[in-house]
Amino acid sequence: MDDAAFTDEVIRLAGDEIRTCIQCGTCSSSCSTAHLMDNSIRRLIRLVLEGRRDEALSSDSIWLCTSCLLCTVRCPRGIRPKAVVSALRQIYEREGLRNRDEAFERIFMDQIRNKGRISEVLLSAAYALRNPDATVPIMEMGIELITKGKVSLDPGTVKGMDEVRRIFEGLEND
Amino acid sequence: MDQSGRTPRIGVYICHCGLNIAATLDVEELRRFAETLPNVVVARDIQFTCSDAGQNTIKSDVAEHKLDAVVVAACSPRLHEPTFRRTITEAGLNQYMLEMANIREQCSWVHMDSPALATQKAKDLIAMAVAKAALLRPLETESVPVSRDVLVIGGGVAGISAALDLANAGLRVYLVERRPTIGGYMALLTDVFPTNDCSICVLAPKMAEVYANPMIKLMTYSEILAIEGTVGHFRVTGVTKPRYVDPSLCKGCINECSGACPVEVPNEYDFGLGKRKAIYMAIPQSVPLVACIDTNACIGCGLCAEACPADAVKYDQQAEEFKLDVGAIIVATGWQPFDASRKEEYGFGRYRDVVTTLQIERMLNAAGPTRGDIVRPSTGEIAKSIAFIQCVGSRDQTVGNPYCSRICCMSSLKNAQLIKERYPDADVAIHYIDIRAGGEGYEEFYIRAQRLGIRFIRGRVSSVEEGEDGLYVHYEDTLLGKTLMKRYDLVVLSTGLEANRDAEVVGSLLGLSRRPDRFFEIAHPKMRPVEAHIDGVFIAGCASGPKEIQVSIAQGSAAASKAMQLLFKGEIELDPTVAFVDREKCIGCKLCVDTCPSRAISVKDTAFVDEARCKGCGTCAAACPVDAIEMRLFSDEQILAQIRAATAVKGEYPFIVGFLCNWCSYAGADLAGTSRIQYPTNIRIIRVMCAGRVDPSFVLEALRRGADGVLIAGCRIGECHYVSGNLHALQRVEVLKGLLREIGIDPRRLKIAWCAASEGDILARKIEEFVDELKDLGPVGTELVAALPSGKD
Ligand SMILES: Cc1cc2nc3c(=O)[nH]c(=O)nc-3n(C[C@H](O)[C@H](O)[C@H](O)COP(=O)(O)OP(=O)(O)OC[C@H]3O[C@@H](n4cnc5c(N)ncnc54)[C@H](O)[C@@H]3O)c2cc1C
Ligand code: SF4
Ligand code: SF4
Repeated sequence: MDDAAFTDEVIRLAGDEIRTCIQCGTCSSSCSTAHLMDNSIRRLIRLVLEGRRDEALSSDSIWLCTSCLLCTVRCPRGIRPKAVVSALRQIYEREGLRNRDEAFERIFMDQIRNKGRISEVLLSAAYALRNPDATVPIMEMGIELITKGKVSLDPGTVKGMDEVRRIFEGLEND
Repeated sequence: MDQSGRTPRIGVYICHCGLNIAATLDVEELRRFAETLPNVVVARDIQFTCSDAGQNTIKSDVAEHKLDAVVVAACSPRLHEPTFRRTITEAGLNQYMLEMANIREQCSWVHMDSPALATQKAKDLIAMAVAKAALLRPLETESVPVSRDVLVIGGGVAGISAALDLANAGLRVYLVERRPTIGGYMALLTDVFPTNDCSICVLAPKMAEVYANPMIKLMTYSEILAIEGTVGHFRVTGVTKPRYVDPSLCKGCINECSGACPVEVPNEYDFGLGKRKAIYMAIPQSVPLVACIDTNACIGCGLCAEACPADAVKYDQQAEEFKLDVGAIIVATGWQPFDASRKEEYGFGRYRDVVTTLQIERMLNAAGPTRGDIVRPSTGEIAKSIAFIQCVGSRDQTVGNPYCSRICCMSSLKNAQLIKERYPDADVAIHYIDIRAGGEGYEEFYIRAQRLGIRFIRGRVSSVEEGEDGLYVHYEDTLLGKTLMKRYDLVVLSTGLEANRDAEVVGSLLGLSRRPDRFFEIAHPKMRPVEAHIDGVFIAGCASGPKEIQVSIAQGSAAASKAMQLLFKGEIELDPTVAFVDREKCIGCKLCVDTCPSRAISVKDTAFVDEARCKGCGTCAAACPVDAIEMRLFSDEQILAQIRAATAVKGEYPFIVGFLCNWCSYAGADLAGTSRIQYPTNIRIIRVMCAGRVDPSFVLEALRRGADGVLIAGCRIGECHYVSGNLHALQRVEVLKGLLREIGIDPRRLKIAWCAASEGDILARKIEEFVDELKDLGPVGTELVAALPSGKD
C-alpha cells in the first residue's frame, strides 16, 4: 500500500473531516495519556495526512489511547481523533503487525493460571525485569496510579479457581 | 400581430462583424433566408452593424419601412443589446422592440469547422428571434417619486458614519438606536488597533456631530416594530421606550440622581465587572447625554426625582410610537459577543479570574470599573501573569461557529501590548492557533508585540483549571510537540463575534437572508458588499459579518453613497421587465409567494406582484400552476414561439433546445465563443433570465415538437443571481423527469447543468456529452415506438 492510499484508507475509516485538521493540539492537550505517547494524537493525524504510514503504525500512541473521547468532544473541526486511532489499530492488525510480545504474554498467562486475575504491579515488575527499556515511561504512570489508589499491590485470588484451571486445561488440550 | 391587430413589420440586420461571422457563416444566404420569414419587410447584411453607418441604416429603415420591431443577428445581446436599444429609441421605437440573434459567440466562433451546419443553426437562431420579435410589446419605464429620507438602524460606528455622510450630502436621516446611547461597541473599547489611539476620543466627536446635525433625527432607546412598502417608500413604525427622564430637562449631571439611587446592579456596559445604579448613564460620553431609569432594577422609591435639580425625572413618561416614510434603509445593527460560558472547559462564570476580552477592554479603560488597572477579580490584586486564549467561540464547530471572527487576533495583540506597556514585568502570553494580521499595518503591529516580549504559544488551549494559587492552562505547544500546563493569575478569553440577536426582528421585517454563519447576507459576496437582496436596503458594518472599525466605517460610507445614488433624483425608474398577475386566472394558491426570492408577491384573494421589488427572474411564472403569472418580457408566448421556430426544420440529429440563464450559463456560452472553444452545432439556445424561469410546458413543447433533448443550465448552486432560482429549477426538473417517465419518454432527454460565467469550457463539454448521450438514446419517440407496437404517439 503506498502512502497516499494509506491516507485515503484512514480517511475512509475515520471520516474525511481529518483533512481539515488545523493542528491546534486541542486533542493532544485533552488527552490523559499524551505525556506517555511518542507521537501526540495531533502528530498522529499529521502523520496520517502526510502518508507517513510506517511512523503512524509503529507509534505506541495507538495502543496508549484510553478511548476517553475527550479529543473527539473538543476538536474544533469536528474531527474524531479517537476514530483515527481505531482505524490505525484496525489496519495494524489486518497487516499482521500485531504487537506480539511473547515474554509479556507468558507472564500474563502465568498470573491468570495461578490467581485467576492479574496484579498490575507484579505484572509490570516481572515484565520490567525482562525488558528494562520499556520500564521508564510506564514507571511514571505506575507511580501516579499507585498514589491515587488506582492499583493495588496484591489484588488477591478470584473465587472458583477450579474453573479457571479447567479452562486452562481445556485450552491447552486443544 | 400587435395590439392593434396589425401584422408587425420587422427589419432583420445580419452582421458580418468583419470576418468574425462572415468567415464561417454564409451571410448572404442568411439574408436571403431572413427575407422569407413571416413579418420581415426588410433584411440586410451589414459589415459592422454596431458602427455609426450600421446604426444609421437601421434608423433610416425604421422610418422608411415603418418598422415595428428590429432583429439584429450579430454578437451576444450581453454585449450590444444596450447599443441597439439606443439606436431604435433614437429612431422612434420603444427600446424593448429589439431582439438579438447571437450568431457570433454562440455560432460562428464555436463552430468554425462546420460552416454548413453553423449556417443552418444561424438560420434557426434568426427564425427564433423573428418569431419572438413579432410578439414583442413596447414597455414603458415608469418613474415614480420617492422619499429622499433614509432610515439608519443601529448607531454603532457603521451607522454613525452612514448617517453623517447622508446628512452632509443633504439627505434627511432617521437614526434609530435601541440602546440609550449611540456609539455601539466602539464606545466601550479602550485604545484601538492598529494605531492604539483612544477609541472614545476619536468616536465621541462623531457622536456629537450626529447629535448636532440638523439633518439627522436621532432616536435612541427606540425600536422598529413594522416595515411595509418597498424601495422608495418604506413605511416604518417604531417606538421610543420611556427613559422616565425628560430629555429636554436633563442636564446630564447624573451624580445627583444616581448618587441618590439606593439600587445597584451589574453594569452591562462594563460587561458585569462594575456596578451601576437603577438610574444611570451608559457611558460618560453618552449621546444624548440624558439619564435613563432601568425599570427592571428601579424600586420606585422616588429618591432620584427628589434629587434632580432640573426636575427632569418623570415617572409617568409613556412609550411613544413614531411613523416614518423613507426611500432607503441602512441596516447597521452590529454584532454580539459569543457567550463564553458555553465553553465550559474554560471555566468562565465558574472561575472569577477567567474574564473575556471585552472585560479586559473595560479594565484597560481609564473610565472603566478598575480605572485602568489589570486586576484579578478574585483578589483585586494586580495580575502578574496573563494568558490570552484565542478562538473562543470562533473557528469552533462544537459551538456551531466554524468561521473566524477576524478581529480577535488583532484585539489581543493590542491588549497584550497595552498591558505590557503598563506593566513591563508582567508575563503576557497569547495562546493561538494562527495569528491573523491581514490589513494595512497589521503585521507590523504583530512584530511590535513580539518585540515587547509578549510570548506567543502555538496551540489551542484545551482547558483551564483553578488551583490553590491560580489558574492552570492546559495546551500543547505544537511547535515544540509538548503537552504542557502553565499557571497564570488571569486568563482572558478572546471571545468571537456573533450575529446580533437584537437584529432578528429587523431582519425578518425586511426579509433579509442569512448566511450559514447567521450574519445578514449581502447581494454578492464580492461585487455588492453593502447591498441586501432587497432593493433599497443596504447593510453596513458587523451586521454582515465580523470586521474591524476601519472597514465598518468604509461600509457605512459605501451604504450611504448607494442610498444617495438611489434617492438623489427624488424619483426612481422601475424596470418594466417584471412579472404581473392575471387576476382572472389566479386561484390564490400562494405557491408563488415563497418561490419569489425578492419577496415581491403578496396574496389577498389573488396574487399581486410589487413591481418595485420584482427583479424579473420569472421563477414565479414557471411555478404558477394555472399560468396566472406572466412576464412582460421573456413571456410564455414569446418563448414558446422561439421553441416552435427552433424546431420547425430540425436540420440535424440529435437536436437540442437549450434554456440558459442570462447571468451565468448564457454568459458562459458567450465565453466559450470568445475563447473559440468548439462544440457540436446541435443546440439551439434560448436566453432566459433565470433557470427558474423554465416552465415545464417549455420542455414538453420542445420534446413534442421533436427536440431529442432539452438542456436547462443555470448558475452554480449557491451562486444564483436571484439567490434560489436554480434550486427551484432543479426541483422542477426532478418532478418533470418523473412525469416524462410516466408518459413513456426517457427522462435522460432532460438535462440540467450548472455553469459559471467563467466556465465556457464546462458548458461546451456538457453539450458535447449530451449530444453523445442522445445519440445513444436515439431520436425522440424511439422509446414510445418501442412501448407502443401501434407506433402512434
Ligand atoms: C474585544 C474587541 C476589541 C476590538 N478592538 C478593536 C480595535 O482595536 N480596532 C478595530 O478596528 N476594531 C476593534 N473591534 C471591532 C469593533 O468592535 C467593530 O468593528 C465595531 O464595533 C463595528 O461597529 P458596528 O457599527 O458594525 O457594530 P456595533 O458596534 O455592534 O454597533 C451596532 C449598534 O446597533 C444597535 N442595534 C442593534 N440592533 C438594533 C436594532 N434592532 N434596532 C436599533 N439598534 C440596534 C446596537 O445597540 C449598537 O449600538 C474590537 C472588537 C472586540 C470584540
Ligand atoms: S483537535 Fe482536531 S483540529 Fe486540532 S489538532 Fe486535533 S484533530 Fe486537528
Ligand atoms: S419570482 Fe422573480 S419574476 Fe416573480 S415576482 Fe419574484 S422577482 Fe419577480
